[in-house]
Amino acid sequence: MTITGDRIEHEIHIHAPPEAVFRFFTDPAMHDRWLGQRATLDPRRGGIYRVVMNDTATVVGEYIDVEPPHRVVFTWGFENNRQIPPGSSTVSVTLTADHSGTRVRLVHTGLPHPAIAPHHHGWAGYLTQLADTAAS
Amino acid sequence: MEEQLRALAGPRRRQILELVRDGELSAGQIAAHFEVTRPAISQHLTVLKSAGLVTERRDGTRRLYRANPAGLAGLKQFIDRFWATGLARLKTEAEAEAARPGRRHPAARRGA
Repeated sequence: MTITGDRIEHEIHIHAPPEAVFRFFTDPAMHDRWLGQRATLDPRRGGIYRVVMNDTATVVGEYIDVEPPHRVVFTWGFENNRQIPPGSSTVSVTLTADHSGTRVRLVHTGLPHPAIAPHHHGWAGYLTQLADTAAS
Repeated sequence: MEEQLRALAGPRRRQILELVRDGELSAGQIAAHFEVTRPAISQHLTVLKSAGLVTERRDGTRRLYRANPAGLAGLKQFIDRFWATGLARLKTEAEAEAARPGRRHPAARRGA
Protein backbone atom coordinates (compact mmCIF):
# COMPACT_ATOMS: atom_id res chain seq x y z
CA MET A 1 0.00 0.00 0.00
CA THR A 2 1.75 3.12 -1.19
CA ILE A 3 0.73 6.65 -0.61
CA THR A 4 1.57 8.16 -3.94
CA GLY A 5 1.71 11.85 -4.68
CA ASP A 6 -0.43 14.05 -6.81
CA ARG A 7 -0.09 17.43 -8.33
CA ILE A 8 -1.60 20.86 -8.37
CA GLU A 9 -1.02 23.09 -11.38
CA HIS A 10 -1.65 26.73 -12.03
CA GLU A 11 -0.82 28.97 -14.91
CA ILE A 12 -1.26 32.73 -15.04
CA HIS A 13 -0.07 35.58 -17.19
CA ILE A 14 1.62 38.66 -15.75
CA HIS A 15 2.27 41.90 -17.56
CA ALA A 16 5.86 42.17 -16.36
CA PRO A 17 9.10 40.68 -17.67
CA PRO A 18 10.42 37.37 -16.25
CA GLU A 19 13.33 39.20 -14.54
CA ALA A 20 10.84 41.28 -12.50
CA VAL A 21 8.61 38.31 -11.66
CA PHE A 22 11.55 36.10 -10.72
CA ARG A 23 12.62 38.43 -7.91
CA PHE A 24 9.27 37.82 -6.17
CA PHE A 25 10.45 34.23 -5.57
CA THR A 26 13.94 35.02 -4.33
CA ASP A 27 13.96 38.41 -2.59
CA PRO A 28 12.41 38.25 0.93
CA ALA A 29 10.97 41.77 0.84
CA MET A 30 9.42 41.14 -2.57
CA HIS A 31 8.18 37.71 -1.49
CA ASP A 32 6.44 39.26 1.54
CA ARG A 33 4.38 41.37 -0.84
CA TRP A 34 2.49 38.41 -2.24
CA LEU A 35 2.78 35.35 -0.02
CA GLY A 36 2.73 34.96 3.75
CA GLN A 37 3.90 37.39 6.39
CA ARG A 38 7.66 36.97 6.59
CA ALA A 39 10.01 35.08 4.33
CA THR A 40 13.55 33.88 5.01
CA LEU A 41 15.08 33.03 1.66
CA ASP A 42 18.51 31.86 0.59
CA PRO A 43 17.97 31.37 -3.14
CA ARG A 44 20.66 28.90 -4.07
CA ARG A 45 20.64 25.12 -4.25
CA GLY A 46 20.20 23.79 -0.70
CA GLY A 47 19.38 27.27 0.63
CA ILE A 48 16.44 27.76 2.96
CA TYR A 49 12.90 28.65 1.84
CA ARG A 50 10.92 29.54 4.96
CA VAL A 51 7.70 31.53 5.05
CA VAL A 52 5.72 32.41 8.15
CA MET A 53 2.15 32.27 6.88
CA ASN A 54 0.33 33.20 10.08
CA ASP A 55 0.49 32.60 13.85
CA THR A 56 0.03 28.87 13.48
CA ALA A 57 1.50 27.93 10.11
CA THR A 58 5.03 28.19 8.77
CA VAL A 59 6.08 26.74 5.44
CA VAL A 60 9.57 25.27 5.39
CA GLY A 61 11.60 23.89 2.53
CA GLU A 62 14.75 24.49 0.56
CA TYR A 63 15.65 25.66 -2.90
CA ILE A 64 16.47 22.82 -5.28
CA ASP A 65 17.01 24.76 -8.46
CA VAL A 66 17.45 28.48 -9.05
CA GLU A 67 17.91 29.57 -12.67
CA PRO A 68 17.19 33.27 -13.04
CA PRO A 69 14.96 34.40 -14.59
CA HIS A 70 13.24 31.27 -15.88
CA ARG A 71 12.99 28.60 -13.26
CA VAL A 72 12.87 28.20 -9.52
CA VAL A 73 12.16 24.97 -7.66
CA PHE A 74 11.84 24.56 -3.91
CA THR A 75 10.59 21.97 -1.46
CA TRP A 76 7.56 22.79 0.64
CA GLY A 77 5.96 21.57 3.86
CA PHE A 78 4.65 22.81 7.18
CA GLU A 79 6.67 23.14 10.34
CA ASN A 80 5.41 20.76 13.07
CA ASN A 81 3.16 18.90 10.68
CA ARG A 82 3.64 15.21 10.10
CA GLN A 83 1.28 15.01 7.17
CA ILE A 84 3.08 17.56 5.02
CA PRO A 85 6.40 17.85 6.88
CA PRO A 86 9.03 20.42 5.90
CA GLY A 87 10.53 19.66 2.54
CA SER A 88 8.06 16.88 1.73
CA SER A 89 6.48 18.29 -1.41
CA THR A 90 7.95 20.21 -4.33
CA VAL A 91 6.96 23.46 -6.02
CA SER A 92 8.32 24.13 -9.51
CA VAL A 93 7.87 27.55 -11.06
CA THR A 94 8.60 28.20 -14.70
CA LEU A 95 8.62 31.71 -16.16
CA THR A 96 8.35 32.05 -19.92
CA ALA A 97 8.55 35.39 -21.70
CA ASP A 98 5.84 36.10 -24.24
CA HIS A 99 4.81 39.12 -26.31
CA SER A 100 3.21 40.96 -23.40
CA GLY A 101 5.04 39.76 -20.29
CA THR A 102 5.47 36.42 -18.56
CA ARG A 103 3.60 33.17 -18.48
CA VAL A 104 3.93 31.76 -14.96
CA ARG A 105 3.40 28.06 -14.51
CA LEU A 106 3.41 26.64 -10.99
CA VAL A 107 3.32 22.90 -10.35
CA HIS A 108 3.06 21.54 -6.81
CA THR A 109 3.83 17.81 -6.60
CA GLY A 110 4.35 15.18 -3.92
CA LEU A 111 1.35 16.17 -1.84
CA PRO A 112 -0.07 13.34 0.28
CA HIS A 113 -2.30 11.12 -1.77
CA PRO A 114 -5.44 10.37 0.26
CA ALA A 115 -6.26 14.01 0.52
CA ILE A 116 -5.36 14.65 -3.06
CA ALA A 117 -7.24 11.83 -4.74
CA PRO A 118 -7.73 12.78 -8.37
CA HIS A 119 -10.91 14.77 -8.08
CA HIS A 120 -10.66 17.17 -10.92
CA HIS A 121 -13.97 18.20 -9.74
CA GLY A 122 -13.95 21.78 -8.54
CA TRP A 123 -10.92 22.77 -10.56
CA ALA A 124 -12.88 24.68 -13.15
CA GLY A 125 -14.38 26.75 -10.35
CA TYR A 126 -11.00 27.73 -8.96
CA LEU A 127 -9.60 28.63 -12.33
CA THR A 128 -12.61 30.82 -12.97
CA GLN A 129 -12.15 32.44 -9.58
CA LEU A 130 -8.46 32.97 -10.33
CA ALA A 131 -9.21 34.49 -13.71
CA ASP A 132 -11.76 36.83 -12.10
CA THR A 133 -9.31 37.86 -9.37
CA ALA A 134 -6.53 38.37 -11.88
CA ALA A 135 -8.72 40.45 -14.15
CA SER A 136 -10.11 42.71 -11.42
CA MET B 1 -8.60 21.86 7.56
CA GLU B 2 -6.49 21.55 10.72
CA GLU B 3 -8.60 18.61 11.82
CA GLN B 4 -8.10 16.91 8.47
CA LEU B 5 -4.36 17.39 8.62
CA ARG B 6 -4.31 15.91 12.11
CA ALA B 7 -6.50 12.99 11.05
CA LEU B 8 -4.23 12.29 8.09
CA ALA B 9 -1.12 12.55 10.23
CA GLY B 10 -1.49 8.96 11.43
CA PRO B 11 -0.07 6.39 8.98
CA ARG B 12 -2.62 3.82 10.14
CA ARG B 13 -5.46 6.22 9.38
CA ARG B 14 -4.07 6.83 5.90
CA GLN B 15 -3.99 3.05 5.39
CA ILE B 16 -7.60 2.79 6.52
CA LEU B 17 -8.54 5.53 4.07
CA GLU B 18 -6.87 3.62 1.25
CA LEU B 19 -8.90 0.55 2.18
CA VAL B 20 -12.25 2.29 2.05
CA ARG B 21 -11.42 4.51 -0.89
CA ASP B 22 -13.22 2.39 -3.46
CA GLY B 23 -15.86 0.63 -1.42
CA GLU B 24 -17.62 0.21 1.89
CA LEU B 25 -16.18 -1.96 4.62
CA SER B 26 -17.31 -2.76 8.13
CA ALA B 27 -15.11 -1.95 11.12
CA GLY B 28 -14.45 -5.68 11.50
CA GLN B 29 -13.34 -6.04 7.89
CA ILE B 30 -11.05 -3.07 8.31
CA ALA B 31 -9.61 -4.42 11.56
CA ALA B 32 -8.85 -7.74 9.83
CA HIS B 33 -6.27 -5.94 7.70
CA PHE B 34 -4.22 -4.83 10.68
CA GLU B 35 -2.60 -6.36 13.70
CA VAL B 36 -4.19 -3.96 16.10
CA THR B 37 -7.17 -4.19 18.40
CA ARG B 38 -10.67 -3.53 17.23
CA PRO B 39 -11.11 -0.61 19.69
CA ALA B 40 -7.96 0.98 18.22
CA ILE B 41 -9.52 0.76 14.75
CA SER B 42 -12.79 2.20 16.06
CA GLN B 43 -10.83 5.08 17.54
CA HIS B 44 -9.17 5.78 14.17
CA LEU B 45 -12.54 5.59 12.41
CA THR B 46 -14.00 8.09 14.86
CA VAL B 47 -11.18 10.53 14.12
CA LEU B 48 -11.57 10.05 10.36
CA LYS B 49 -15.33 10.45 10.57
CA SER B 50 -15.07 13.56 12.67
CA ALA B 51 -12.67 15.08 10.14
CA GLY B 52 -15.16 14.36 7.37
CA LEU B 53 -12.77 11.96 5.66
CA VAL B 54 -15.04 8.91 5.92
CA THR B 55 -18.78 8.45 6.11
CA GLU B 56 -20.55 5.89 8.27
CA ARG B 57 -23.67 3.96 7.32
CA ARG B 58 -25.61 1.56 9.50
CA ASP B 59 -26.72 -1.75 8.05
CA GLY B 60 -28.56 -3.65 10.77
CA THR B 61 -26.05 -4.07 13.56
CA ARG B 62 -23.06 -3.36 11.31
CA ARG B 63 -21.53 -0.02 10.66
CA LEU B 64 -20.08 0.43 7.20
CA TYR B 65 -17.41 2.96 6.33
CA ARG B 66 -16.20 4.46 3.11
CA ALA B 67 -14.02 7.38 2.10
CA ASN B 68 -15.81 10.66 1.64
CA PRO B 69 -14.60 12.21 -1.63
CA ALA B 70 -15.76 15.66 -0.57
CA GLY B 71 -13.68 15.45 2.59
CA LEU B 72 -10.71 14.04 0.71
CA ALA B 73 -10.75 16.95 -1.65
CA GLY B 74 -10.37 19.38 1.26
CA LEU B 75 -6.60 19.50 1.54
CA LYS B 76 -6.11 19.68 -2.18
CA GLN B 77 -8.64 22.48 -2.37
CA PHE B 78 -6.91 24.27 0.49
CA ILE B 79 -3.52 24.18 -1.24
CA ASP B 80 -5.04 24.83 -4.63
CA ARG B 81 -6.76 27.92 -3.29
CA PHE B 82 -3.58 28.92 -1.45
CA TRP B 83 -1.70 29.12 -4.76
CA ALA B 84 -4.60 30.65 -6.66
CA THR B 85 -4.84 33.48 -4.14
CA GLY B 86 -1.07 33.82 -3.91
CA LEU B 87 -0.52 33.96 -7.64
CA ALA B 88 -3.30 36.50 -8.09
CA ARG B 89 -1.45 38.69 -5.58
CA LEU B 90 1.85 38.03 -7.31
CA LYS B 91 0.30 39.27 -10.55
CA THR B 92 -0.95 42.45 -8.89
CA GLU B 93 2.37 43.17 -7.18
CA ALA B 94 4.61 42.29 -10.13
CA GLU B 95 2.55 44.40 -12.49
CA ALA B 96 2.57 47.32 -10.04
CA GLU B 97 6.34 46.95 -9.76
CA ALA B 98 6.78 46.84 -13.53
CA ALA B 99 4.62 49.94 -13.94
CA ARG B 100 6.61 52.02 -11.46
CA PRO B 101 8.37 55.06 -12.91
CA GLY B 102 11.91 54.25 -13.86
CA ARG B 103 11.02 50.67 -14.69
CA ARG B 104 10.66 49.68 -18.29
CA HIS B 105 7.31 48.29 -19.22
CA PRO B 106 7.59 44.77 -20.65
CA ALA B 107 6.20 45.99 -23.96
CA ALA B 108 9.11 48.41 -24.18
CA ARG B 109 11.54 45.53 -23.95
CA ARG B 110 10.47 44.03 -27.20
CA GLY B 111 13.04 44.59 -29.87
CA ALA B 112 15.45 45.82 -27.23
